[in-house]
Amino acid sequence: MAAVLPLLPERHKAAPRPALLWALGVAAVASCVVTAGLASGNDELYQPALRVLLVWWITLPYIFAGIVAWRRRPDSFFGPLMILAGFVTQLSILQWTSQPLLNTVGQLFDLLVAAVWLHVFLAYPSGRLAGRAERVVVIIGYVAAVGLQAVILMLGGFNDLHLLTVVKREAAAEAIQNVQLLTLSALAVIGVGLLWWRWQLLPRWQRRRPAQILINCFSLSLVMLAALLIAGAFQLPGFEIIRLATFAVAGLAPLAFLAGLLDARLAQAGVGELFVQLRTDPAPDLRELLAQALRDPTLSLIYWLPQYGSWADQDGNPTTLPEPNSSRRVTLVKQNGEQIAALVYDATLVEEPELVEAVSAAAGIALENGRLEAELRARLQELHGSRGRVVEAQQNERRRLERNLHDGAQQRLVALALELGLLAEQADSDPATKTRLKHARTEVAQSLDELRDIARGLHPAVVSGHGLAVALESLVATAPLDVQLETDGLPRLSEPLEVAAYYVVSESLTNAAKHAAATHVRVEVGVSEDALIVEIVDDGVGGADSERGTGLRGLADRVEALDGNLRIWSAVGKGTRVRAELPCG
Amino acid sequence: MRVAIAEDSVLLREGVAKLLTDAGIEVTARCGTADELLVRVADDPPDAVVVDIRLPPTHTDEGMQAALTIRQKYPDVGVLVLSQYVEVGLAMQLLADSAEGVGYLLKDRVSEVKEFIAALRRVADGGSALDPTIVSTMLKRHRSSDPLDSLTPREREVLELMATGASNAGIAESMVITQRAAEKYVSTIFTKLGIPATGSESRRVLAVLLFLRS
Repeated sequence: MAAVLPLLPERHKAAPRPALLWALGVAAVASCVVTAGLASGNDELYQPALRVLLVWWITLPYIFAGIVAWRRRPDSFFGPLMILAGFVTQLSILQWTSQPLLNTVGQLFDLLVAAVWLHVFLAYPSGRLAGRAERVVVIIGYVAAVGLQAVILMLGGFNDLHLLTVVKREAAAEAIQNVQLLTLSALAVIGVGLLWWRWQLLPRWQRRRPAQILINCFSLSLVMLAALLIAGAFQLPGFEIIRLATFAVAGLAPLAFLAGLLDARLAQAGVGELFVQLRTDPAPDLRELLAQALRDPTLSLIYWLPQYGSWADQDGNPTTLPEPNSSRRVTLVKQNGEQIAALVYDATLVEEPELVEAVSAAAGIALENGRLEAELRARLQELHGSRGRVVEAQQNERRRLERNLHDGAQQRLVALALELGLLAEQADSDPATKTRLKHARTEVAQSLDELRDIARGLHPAVVSGHGLAVALESLVATAPLDVQLETDGLPRLSEPLEVAAYYVVSESLTNAAKHAAATHVRVEVGVSEDALIVEIVDDGVGGADSERGTGLRGLADRVEALDGNLRIWSAVGKGTRVRAELPCG
Repeated sequence: MRVAIAEDSVLLREGVAKLLTDAGIEVTARCGTADELLVRVADDPPDAVVVDIRLPPTHTDEGMQAALTIRQKYPDVGVLVLSQYVEVGLAMQLLADSAEGVGYLLKDRVSEVKEFIAALRRVADGGSALDPTIVSTMLKRHRSSDPLDSLTPREREVLELMATGASNAGIAESMVITQRAAEKYVSTIFTKLGIPATGSESRRVLAVLLFLRS
C-alpha cells in the first residue's frame, strides 16, 4: 500500500488529549447544571425554564461541536474557538445571581457572546481571521462588547448589583449603551456582508451544500443578533421574543457545522467506491476518479519518472512539481520508499487531511500503473521524435543527392550529348566516325535515362518545385491504370507534407497495379479543416497488409513521423482503400 | 531569328548558344537567372526564349514561373522550356490556355541538333513542341473501353507526332508518306477519337493532350 506524505502543512499539531476533551465535556454539563440552579434562585427572570433551556441550547452544541472539531482537525483553531464561545455564553448567566462579584462578572461579559459569535462565524473554517476587514470587525466587536460595557458599569449603568460603579451618571451610561448596541448591530450586519462576499469569491465547485447551509446559519444568526441589539437600544416591544428567537437560531450553527463534518466522513465513504471503480475498470481515468473522490475538480496528477529524472503528466509530457502555495497543495505518494506520484489539489482540502490520505492510499496500485503508463507514453514520444528526425534526415539527404545529380552528372552528360551532336553535324565526311559518334550519343542518352530514373527515385523534385497537384497529375498520367484524380482547390503545403502525400499516392498506385490487379483507381487529395486528407480507393483483389509489405510499413512511418495516421481497409475481394490524414494546421 | 537563353550551367548555356549561332540564329541574351531573363526580354523582346525549368536561387520553379510570365506578358515571344524531366502536370500548366508558341522538351533533345532547331523555329512561329515522351507515357495508360484501342499502329504513330506539335508536312516527312496521306490519317484519328477537328496545329496538340488526360 502506498504511503502518503503531505508536503504542506509541515507542522502538524498533536490531537488534544482525550482527558482534556472529557474534562471540557464534563465542565459543559456542570455549567449547565449551575445555570439551572441560578435560574431557580432568581425570581425576576422572565420565563426561567425557557431561558435555561435556551442557554443550554446555545452552549452545549457549541462546546460539543467544538470538542469533535478539535479532535478531528487539530490543526484548525475553529474547535477551541467554538468551545470558548460556549463557555463565554455561560459567563453572562452569572448576572442571574445577586452575589456581587459573580454578578459583576456576569454583567461585564453580558454582551461578550455577540462578539464571540462574530469571531466564530468570521473565522470559519480555519479558526483564523483571514482578512484585515474581518480582524477589524472582530476587534471593534470585543472593544464594544467588553470595553464599553465596563465604561457603562463604571458610570453606574444597569443596576446597583455590580461592584464597578465609580460615579452615578445614568444618562451618560444610557447614551453609551445605545452607542454600544448600535455598534454591535452594525458589526453584525457587516459580518453578514463579509460572509456573503467570501462566499462569492469561492470557486463554484467549493460552494458545497453543507458549507452553504452553515454560512446561511451564520448569516441568519448575525441578522437576528443585529435585530436583537437594535430592539434593545430602542427598547422596542417584543425584545424578549426576539431574544428567544435569536438564541434558537444561534444554536443551529454548530449543528450545521457537525453536519458538515459528517459530510466529510461521507466523502471518505466514497473512497470505498473508488476502490471498486479502480478494480472494475481496467484502464480508468485515474485523475477523474481521484478528482471525484476528493471532490476537487481542479485536482491534477503527476508522475515521477525515475529513468528521466523528471516529473511528467499523464501523457508523459515533462512537467515540474508545483511549489505548494496558499491556493495549491501537493501530496507526494510513495511506494516502497520511492516517490511515484504527486497529487496537486486545492488548498481547502487541507481541511480534510484524512480524505486526501485515504484517497491516495486507495489509489496506490493504480497510481503505480498510471506511472508506468506515463513512462511508456514518454518513451513513445521520444521514439516518435527520433523517428521523425530519421525520416527528415533521410529526406534531406535524398533531396541533396538528387540536387547533386541534377546539377552535376546530369548537366555534364547533357553538355556532352550536345557536344557530340554538334560534332556529328560537322563530321559529315567520314562514315566510320559518324557511326561511332552515333553510338556514343546513344550511350549518353541511355546513361541520362538511367540517371533520370535514379534521381526521380531519390526525390520527387517536381513536388518541391511545383506542388503536390502538379506532381500528382504527372504521376497519374504515367500510371498504368485508369485513375480518376481529384485535387480541386489543393493549396501549396509544406514540403515534408507534400512529399509524404506524394509517396502515399505513388506507393498505393504501384500496389494497385502490381499486387491488386486493379483496373480503376480513385485518388482524392484535399484539405479539410486542419488536415491534409489523401485517399486512394481501388477495385482490385484487396488483402493488402501493412505488416507484411515493407512499402506500406514505410508509408505509415512517413505519415506517422508527421503526426499523421495511415489506415488501410483491404478485405479480400473488396478492393483496397488507403487513407492518410496529415495534420497541417 | 533572335533567341534569348536562360540556363544556370555555363557549360550548357554556352553549348546551346554555339548550337544556335551555328544554325544562323542570333542569341540576344545569355542569362544565368530567371530575373535576368525577364529584364532582358523586357528590354529587347526576342522571337523566342529557351529557358531551363530549374534556375537559381532555389532551383525549384523559377524557370517555370519566368516562362509563364513571358507567355502572359509577351504573347509574341515563343517560350521553349527545357528540363531534365518532363512532367505531364507541368505540360498541362504550360498549355493551360493554349499551345501556341510554347514548347516543353527534355534537355537531351539539344543533342539532336536539327530536330531541336526545328522545334525552336516552330515555337518562335507560334507553333508548339512537346516532348514525345509526354505523349508516349500518356498513351501507355491502360483504360477500359479505350477509343485509343481502335487506332491502328500507324495511326498511333501519327497521333504521337501530332501531339508533339508536328505539322502535317512534318508528320509526312517523319513517316515517309505524302502530305495528303498524313492529312488523311489525322482526320481519321479525330473521327475515331471523337475529337472535333480543329484548325491550327497547336490547337490540335491541346485537343489531343486533353483527350489523353481525360
